[in-house]
Order: sequence, then structure tokens, then C-alpha cells
Amino acid sequence: MNLKSMTQKNRLQAGGRIDRNQPVNFEYNGTQYQGFVGDTLASALLANGVDVVGRSFKYSRPRGIVAAGADEPNAVLQLGATEATQVPNVRATQQELFNGLVAKSTNGWPSTDNDLMSYIGKVGGRMMPPGFYYKTFMYPQSLWDTYEKFIRKAAGLGRSPLENDPDIYDHINHHADVMVVGAGPAGLSAALVAGRTGARVILADEQAEFGGMLLHSNEIINGLPAAEWVAGVVAELSKMDNVMLLPRATVNGYHDHNFITIHERRTDHLADLAPKGQVRQRMHRVRAKWVVLATGAIERPLVYANNDVPGCMLASAISTYIKRYSVVPGKELVLMTTNDRGYQAAFDWQDAGRKVVAIVDTRAEPTGACVVEAQKRKLKVIKGSAVIEVKGRKRVSGVVIASINAVGDRVTGNVRTLSCDTVASAGGWSPAVHLSCHTGSRPEWRDDIQAFVPGATVQQQLVAGAINGSYRLAACLEEGGHCGALAAANAGFGEQSDELLEVAIVDNEISESASMALFHIPHTQPTSRAPKQFVDYQTDVTAAGIEVATREGYESIEHVKRYTAMGFGTDQGKLGNINGMAIAAKSMNKSIPETGTTIFRPNYTPITFGAIAGRHCGELFDPKRYSAMHRWHVQHGALFEDVGQWKRPWYFPKTGESMQDSLNRECKAVRDSVGILDASTLGKIDIQGKDAREFLGRVYSNAWAMLGVGKCRYGLMCGEDGMVFDDGVTACLAENHFIMTTTTGGAARVLEWLELYHQTEWSELEVYFNTVTDHWSTLTISGPNSRKLLAELTNDIDLSGDSFKFMDWHAGTVAGVPARVFRISFTGELSFEVNVQANYGMQVWEKVFEAGAKYNLTPYGTETMHVLRAEKGFIIAGQDTDGSVTPMDLGMGWCVSNKKPFSYIGKRGMAREDCLKPNRKQLVGLKTRDPKVVIPEGAQAVADPKQPIPMTMLGHVTSSYYSACLGHSIAMGFVRGGLDKMGEAVYYPQPDGSVIEAEICSPIFLDPKGERQNV
Amino acid sequence: MSDLMTKTEFKAPPQPAYALMNQLPGQGPRAESPLYHADLATLANKGPVEGGVHLQEQSLLGHLVLRGSLQNKSFVKGFAQVMGFKLPGALQSAEAGEVSVRWIAPDEWMLIVPGAEAFGIEKKLRQVMTGHVSIADVSGGQTVLVLAGKDAINVLKKSSAYDFHDSNFPVGKVVTTTFAKTQAVIRRIGPQKWELVVRRSFADYIWLWLQDACAEYGLIVRG
Repeated sequence: MNLKSMTQKNRLQAGGRIDRNQPVNFEYNGTQYQGFVGDTLASALLANGVDVVGRSFKYSRPRGIVAAGADEPNAVLQLGATEATQVPNVRATQQELFNGLVAKSTNGWPSTDNDLMSYIGKVGGRMMPPGFYYKTFMYPQSLWDTYEKFIRKAAGLGRSPLENDPDIYDHINHHADVMVVGAGPAGLSAALVAGRTGARVILADEQAEFGGMLLHSNEIINGLPAAEWVAGVVAELSKMDNVMLLPRATVNGYHDHNFITIHERRTDHLADLAPKGQVRQRMHRVRAKWVVLATGAIERPLVYANNDVPGCMLASAISTYIKRYSVVPGKELVLMTTNDRGYQAAFDWQDAGRKVVAIVDTRAEPTGACVVEAQKRKLKVIKGSAVIEVKGRKRVSGVVIASINAVGDRVTGNVRTLSCDTVASAGGWSPAVHLSCHTGSRPEWRDDIQAFVPGATVQQQLVAGAINGSYRLAACLEEGGHCGALAAANAGFGEQSDELLEVAIVDNEISESASMALFHIPHTQPTSRAPKQFVDYQTDVTAAGIEVATREGYESIEHVKRYTAMGFGTDQGKLGNINGMAIAAKSMNKSIPETGTTIFRPNYTPITFGAIAGRHCGELFDPKRYSAMHRWHVQHGALFEDVGQWKRPWYFPKTGESMQDSLNRECKAVRDSVGILDASTLGKIDIQGKDAREFLGRVYSNAWAMLGVGKCRYGLMCGEDGMVFDDGVTACLAENHFIMTTTTGGAARVLEWLELYHQTEWSELEVYFNTVTDHWSTLTISGPNSRKLLAELTNDIDLSGDSFKFMDWHAGTVAGVPARVFRISFTGELSFEVNVQANYGMQVWEKVFEAGAKYNLTPYGTETMHVLRAEKGFIIAGQDTDGSVTPMDLGMGWCVSNKKPFSYIGKRGMAREDCLKPNRKQLVGLKTRDPKVVIPEGAQAVADPKQPIPMTMLGHVTSSYYSACLGHSIAMGFVRGGLDKMGEAVYYPQPDGSVIEAEICSPIFLDPKGERQNV
Repeated sequence: MSDLMTKTEFKAPPQPAYALMNQLPGQGPRAESPLYHADLATLANKGPVEGGVHLQEQSLLGHLVLRGSLQNKSFVKGFAQVMGFKLPGALQSAEAGEVSVRWIAPDEWMLIVPGAEAFGIEKKLRQVMTGHVSIADVSGGQTVLVLAGKDAINVLKKSSAYDFHDSNFPVGKVVTTTFAKTQAVIRRIGPQKWELVVRRSFADYIWLWLQDACAEYGLIVRG
């Protein structure tokens, strides 16, 4: 680190809105500097005489600070004192200074001042001619990685941190009657007038202080200096409960239906890391009834040769630095302007005690008051001329000026050189139409102001002030007040008055004369031969590059943009786009409105990923759903599997056990004695109504008319296409009352499916659906000893096989808690599913374990459940089905009834010709020749393993496990025509070149007669 | 697998049309509310005494979901007869003592009563309501959280896009809306007091979310 501290050589002794009593130390590129509270990083760098803040994208040319706000293209820095607090793409002009701030320029190697790239800059330029971006996409996609690496490195786009960001970012929602964007003169008056009506008003501005240009203007409002008028308005607004003021908050996106996204930086001005307990950045999501855009305008630089040499700045930025930050960024100024307003920079420069070398006015005969003022100030005004070229490399050393013709497209002579270190250019103003573009509105050209203004919109939107092309302060105040009143009235507040709303009177307004429509300054050489005339600094697009684009036939402005990359930088071409369009128009001999404009998309300025993510990260990224017995599972060492959002126990390994050991033990415990599964996560839908039974018959493929009270039935649910999408057991609780179970992941979808059909197709059926998934805890007790175990916990349910048959349910008491017990089985063993109100789930679960110790009651998880059900050939919807299989494909034609009087969903789909073909992929069992080998799930079946690639694939494995109970591996999978190929061999080629051979068999590997569950 | 297709003779229904069941045990078995594991009572004793948001779980209440048509007189009148007050209209709630009911949808209301009274009330409603009506006990499936304090509204604004402003959300109003990445039935029960009915399985997520969202204001847990 370089500890050599520089003095603030460009800082004035007095004035500005900085606090000289509060010095602030910061580090830039390893060197310590000092600024003051109230500085931006940019103003502090300029105060310290730092000229070069980066290297350009293609040509690696030194670049300095050009602007004073969001439009800054060059001073885009990397911030952060530690790895975890790195923030890329921060505009130094928008970053407030704080003690300990650490910033680095992002391009330039080995350093910004001594850039090796600059020596090969021409090579870089040749490697990326205009059209690079466009043409790159013509190459094979595989090359993009290479290009991207090259571009990123050369472009210096900053980098993301390698460590987790320790700061908190969050989101908040608001509703407003009137959302005012921008707190300059127009926005302040709009908010004030709207606020006084009692409407809910939000006023947001990207800067730390409200006031916009009034913070550095010389104008007098209501007899007060402008900044004092601002302070008064802000004080009144902050007393209103119905008004929310958001400074340091950039309205970054304007979306459909007046939905606004605002990026507020709450602590970025305080420290590298947010103070403890504070939120660093907040995304405000505003739904506004009416929006008033008062975003102002951005000054256009002029395009002239070597206009990118550090020291070339916007005229208005120079005024801002002098008046607001008390910084004069140079000694000797040459100002080039096409309009009266530009003169102010020269006046401010002179008032700061520095030398104005000349004012170069491109107009032949300027007549405004400012010219008189310049003469009064004894400033040299060179009329009908332009700065055609800048001399210098790391800092302006002089300018070449020349006379130009009346329309400004030709140098007419009188070429001479002036010495200076700063060049200000004032090419007129571009209204900040960005937000209005976000909603799809196309800007419209206005000849009188030589600029685009917001076009027609479908939003409930008003525009006020400079965005509307109204640059006079009095007009800004008046329009703001009018729009504030209108917006509030439209939202139902206040009375819309025809009287002029006299918010304020400007006392010292200066009259203006006509400006000249000039964008591109001619040179003695043709554009292609002249030194580079930059249009878009950030992407190194030159006037010559745009001419190349139009010459190559890219005539649409959108094509020009993509061909040259104009406007592709992080600044979205805030400074360069209009100039670029004008140059394209000129080279095609069209007018600007004929050429048209590109539009902008969110975000207005770059936004951090933290602000986008908000609190939806880490533990809060996605809800985790838990059953009532979750605590027990955690305490007993369960590993968990995500099923939908549920955390289900996967298996319960004991110390030293591998996963397979654990599964083997759990499976054998169920087959030999008794196991227990937490099945609470299965979807449960309570169905009531006299037509419930009929409804079930229409949504399930099988028959329900005959299901008696006290009975359960398994059903398959199909889509209209006849493909299975869910399954489960439904029990008849009472004549008009059923409870349906669904898969864990399918619960919400099934409920929506039922509601959809009920509400849109069969609203005449009297039936109601209610989710009761969370209401019941479900304990599945399975195994030959399950009856004995349950008998110890109930004295009011007859568990004998005669009275409590398979697929029956009974109500009673289990462990002292009222329960519904269903005798259904997904393991093939004698099984009872005990359902109790979930508040008692844990209590009953614990009681079952107390009683179960003597039976070696073993908790098992989803993986064991999968093995057990696969031994029985039971499918899992979503694992053995994928939306392309019918019940017949699954060998489950028994679960389809075509005798129902009313049709059912999927009936026609299943009857399609393709679904009836004999050679469809069908679900079969698979037994490997080597009993120890488990086929990987997803493995593809082939008939001939020696067939050259591409091989004919017959299907794939859907479920595959090692069965400890059977002593060999088992699998289920699809094989084309498999149901007719029992006993035949299929082969599964593996990535390592080996081949697994298997025999097609019934998927029911264990107890095909069902003797184990019917006991 | 054909054994799953056990066929049963269809009999004319001598049984009641709906299965009524008292799901609560008598004294003895321990009940655990959805936030039992968070041990809010202990936190309440340990936690800070000042803060912008107060949080309390009103656990183990009786939750009944009523479905029916306003055209069904037995449904509308039956409710008033049993509960002593009328079913509220759209987005409204009504309450009397410890009993409250929320409008959920044009054919749906959520009744919350003391836990031990749920079954008795369900039975009485069943007796007076005829026609197409459903009553589902969901007491185990959800819980009630009360958020109070001057910053409670900010926590709601961080969690949901709904407009909670006085002008749009007076006391007594109720909406079912998104809450963080899940949902809640939200009712305003006082100028600075809000009631959230949340699902059991999402309760832990909401508890984590609320702790996080309340952090900057100071969270006081009430036992």
C-alpha cells in the first residue's frame, strides 16, 4: 500500500455542500487520500487530482471522470475493503465517501496508470472491430467461453466476491397513491402538492440529498437561494405522515401496472460493512396508483477527436463539482457549447478563480443573455467554431479548434491550437426517458428541443420537468405542481384545480436563445481517418465504427446497436446513445426520428444480487416443511430427503453403519418383526358432499360407486391424455364423506386438479374439498408384529383379521388418543396406518416406541420404504411414471374401469391409437444375472449390447435397489413390449464399457399371492 | 396387486352421511402445537422487554373450515343460531368472546374456537345445517400467531405484497395471501395488532422468517 498522501489540490477554500470539519480517509488503488463528508468518491478523487480512473474496453486508453451522476461511463470501480465485501460496478460519482472506503479501478494491467495493454491496444482493437459482438454470435456456441473470458478480462467489468456477503439485504412492499420519481425541482413540487392533499406519496431520489440540480444552481426561488427552498420543502414533506421520503434510492425499474422497483442503499454511505443489525440495501416494491416521472435530463457530450482524454468532461458536471463539492477539476478550461446553458460552467470556473481559456460556441451568431454575461466577464468567446481535437494522453494538454459551417458538418478553416488541461462540452440535454421505456413506451423526438421525450403510455403515468423537455426552472416547478395535483386527484385526493398551482416563483430566470442541433463535430480529416471520436466511452464505440455499421448495411438502429455494442455497457449508453443515433442518421442521410431510437430496459443502474435476492437466501431460500414428529427423527439420527418442500427421514443409520447396512437392517426389521414410518407428509384431502362418490369416479380411472363405508381403495389419477400423474388410497368415511391420500409431492397439484374440474366442468356436483394434510399425523406400523404391537395400544379396536380386513378402516383410540386406523399396505406386510390429530402425533409416536421395544420396533425412512414397495412391485408416481405412461403401460389395467356410466378423466386419452399399440414401453421387473449387481437407475435397455452406437434403446430403469430380504438386486423399468417378453434378456450398457445383463420378470418379487398382508 | 381391488357389496346407507369424530383425547396425552419446539414460553422469559414487534402463538385452538352456500338458509341461519352472530361478508371477520370467524372465500369460512369446544360446535352445526355443507376440523393443521407493536405493519410489508394501510385494511378485515414463500390468513385485530393463521408444516419456516424480519425492530416473544 502506498501511504504517500496527496493534498486536495483541486479543493476550493470555501463553499459547496461538503463538511470541511469532517475529513474522511479513503484508499484508491492502494494510495491513501482524504476527502470530506459530503463528497462522492468521484469528487474526492478529482479534489486530489486523480486523472485516470480506468482503461477503456477495447483500446485500453486512459479514461477519467466525465460526469457527476448515474451517467458516468468511466469511473466504474470495484469497492470493498475485504474479500467478502467486494462490490463491482460502482459508479464513483454515486458512491458517497466514508472513512475506510477502499476502491480499485477494474481495468488496466498491471495498473491503471501503467497499462501494458495500451501498448497492444491497437492489436486489441483489431481483434475486436465493430461488429465483434454481433459476429461472435455467428460462431459456434462452443467458442463463446473463449471470447467471454477475453472480453471480461480486457473490459474490466469488475468481479464478484469469493466469500459470502455478510450483509443483510431485504425487500419491502408499499402501496402509494402517487409515486414521484426524482426529487429535483419538478419532483419536489409534485410530492409537495400531492402530499398536501393527504394522498399516500412516495418520493424517491438516487442521491443522498434531495434537490437535484438545485443543489448547485444559482437560481433564487421565492426569494431564497434554491438550496434553501429545497430544505424548506423537504422539511414540510418530512412532517407529513402520508409521505415517505426515500433518499439514496434509485428507481431502477418501472414495470407493468405501475409496479416500481426501488433500490435503496441504506448503509453504503456509512461503512464497508453495514453496522450491526442494519440492513445494507433494501428493494422497495411499490404498487402505485399514479406515477409522476420527474427524472430530469442528462447532458449530452459532443463527439470530437480524442474526446476521451482525461480532462474532457460534461459542462454541467463541472458546475456540479465546483458548486456542490467545491472541487475545480483543472486549471485551464476550454468550453465548447451548442447552447446558452453550457456557458454556466465557464462562469462557475471563473468564479472559482481558475482560468477560462476560451468559450467555443458552435453557433455563428449566439445572442443570448449568457453571451452578454461572458462579455461582461471579459471571457473570450470564439463563435462559429468547435474543438475538433484534443491533445494529450493521460490528461488534456491542449485543443485544436477550427471554424465550422452553419450546420456543423464541415470544418471551414482557421485551425489553431490552444493550451488547456480541461475541456467541457455542452451538446444539449437528453431527457432521462429510461423508466418510461421500461413499460414499453417508445420515446418521441421533439425537434424544438432536439431530444427524445417519453412517448404515449398505457400506464397511469405523468411526466414533469426536464424529462418532459421543460428545462426552465419555472416550468419544472409548475409542471411538477400540476402533475402532483393531477395524480393525487386521479387517485381520489384533493380537488383538481384549474388554477395554476403556485408552488414557487423563480426570481432570477435568464432568457435563453436557440441552441444548435449538433452532435458530431467535424474534423479536417474524414471520420474514418480522424483520431478516434468516441460516442460510447464504456464500450469504445466511435463515430467511425457507427459509420462502418451503416456502410455494412446495418440500417436499423437496433442492428447498429448490436453491431457496434453501443449502449451495451453497464451505463446503457446514457451519454452516448443519442449521439450515436444522430451519427447513424447522418451517415444514412436520414433524420433522427426516421432513424428512431433504441429503448432501455431495467435496471436504470446496476443493482446488487443481494438486493435482488433479499432475504430469500440461505435458510430462508425455500420453506422447509416438517411433520409433527420431526424433532424425534432428528434426535434419532435420521438423514433427511427432500420430498417437495418436506424434510422426510431418508433412513436412520446407527453408528458405524453404511447407508446400505442401514437399509438392510430397516428392511429386515419390517419383514421379520415391525417397523414404523412417518407418513404424515402424504397429501390428505377431505371430500364431503352427496356427489363425492360420483366425483371420485370421474377423477380416478377405477370404479368407486360400490365402495362401502369403512372401506379403502387404491386409485390412479390420470390427465386428459390418459397418462398417470398421481395415485393414492381413498377411504369412505361415511356415505357422503371420503378422505383421499395423494403422493407427498403431488398434494397441492391434486387439490388444484380437483378444484379445477369441480369449478370449471362439473360445478353441478355437490362436493367440497379441504386439505387436511397438516391436520393428521400418520404413523405407518408395518410388519408381521404390527397387529400385536397395535393391540397393546388400543382397547377399543378389534384388530383381528376377521373384523378388521385388509383395506378396511376403523375409528378408535390409540395410545389414549382418538385415531382413524387404516389397514392398508405399501410394504406388502400386515400394516396399519394410524392417523391422529397432529398436535398429538409426537405423543402417540413416543408411546408406540415404548410399547414397541420388545418387538424391536425399527423406524424406517423413505429409502427403505422404496425398497420394500419395490420388492412388491408397487409403483411410485413420479419415479416409475413420468407423464408418458398409461395404467396399461404400468401393467395396472386392473385399475381401469370402462364400465362407469359417466366417463372419467383420461378415458379418451388412453383410447388413442398410439396408447393401444402393443409395442409400447411397459413396466416390468428386472432381475440381474449377477444377483449382487444393482443396475443404476436411468440405465438404458438394449436388445443387442454389441450393436454399434447409436444403439436402439428399448426403455430405462426407473427403480433399482439391493434387496436384503431376497438376497439379490431388484429393479423395475420400462422395456418396449416388455409385458410379452417375460424371461427374455435385456442389456444395460454402462458408461465404463461394461454391460449389465438382466432378465425380464414380474415386478412382484416377493409374496406374489399377498399372503403376508392378508393375515 | 389385484388384492388392492377388494370389492365390497354396496349397501344402502344406514350410517350418518358425514363422519363426525371427536379428535381430542381427554386429560393425559401431551399436545404439541406447531411451534412447540421453539419453546416460546422460555424465550419470552429470556428475551428483551422492549422492541417494535411482539409475537405470540395462540396454540391448540379449535379450527373448523365451513363450506356452504349463502343461498342455503340452513347454513346461514344455522350458523347464526349456533354461534350467536352472523357469518361475515367478503374479506370480513366476526367474533364474540373467544370465538371468531373469518371469511375465506365466497363459500368458505374459518371458525376458530377454544380447542375443547371444537367438537361440540361441529356437532351442533351439523345438526342445524342441511343440504350441501361441509365442516372440516383442521385444528391440528394450523396455528395462530399474533403480531403486535408499532413495527408489526413493517414486518407484514416485508412479508407480503398486500396493502396493509389503514385505508385498505381496517380492523376486522381478513385476507388469505402470500406470506414470504408460504401463505397466511391475515386478520387485523387492533390498530397495531394482527393475527396470522398459518399451516403447521410451514410454521417453523414462518417462525424463522419472522425472527429475521423483526430483527431490526426488536422482537419480543410473548409466552
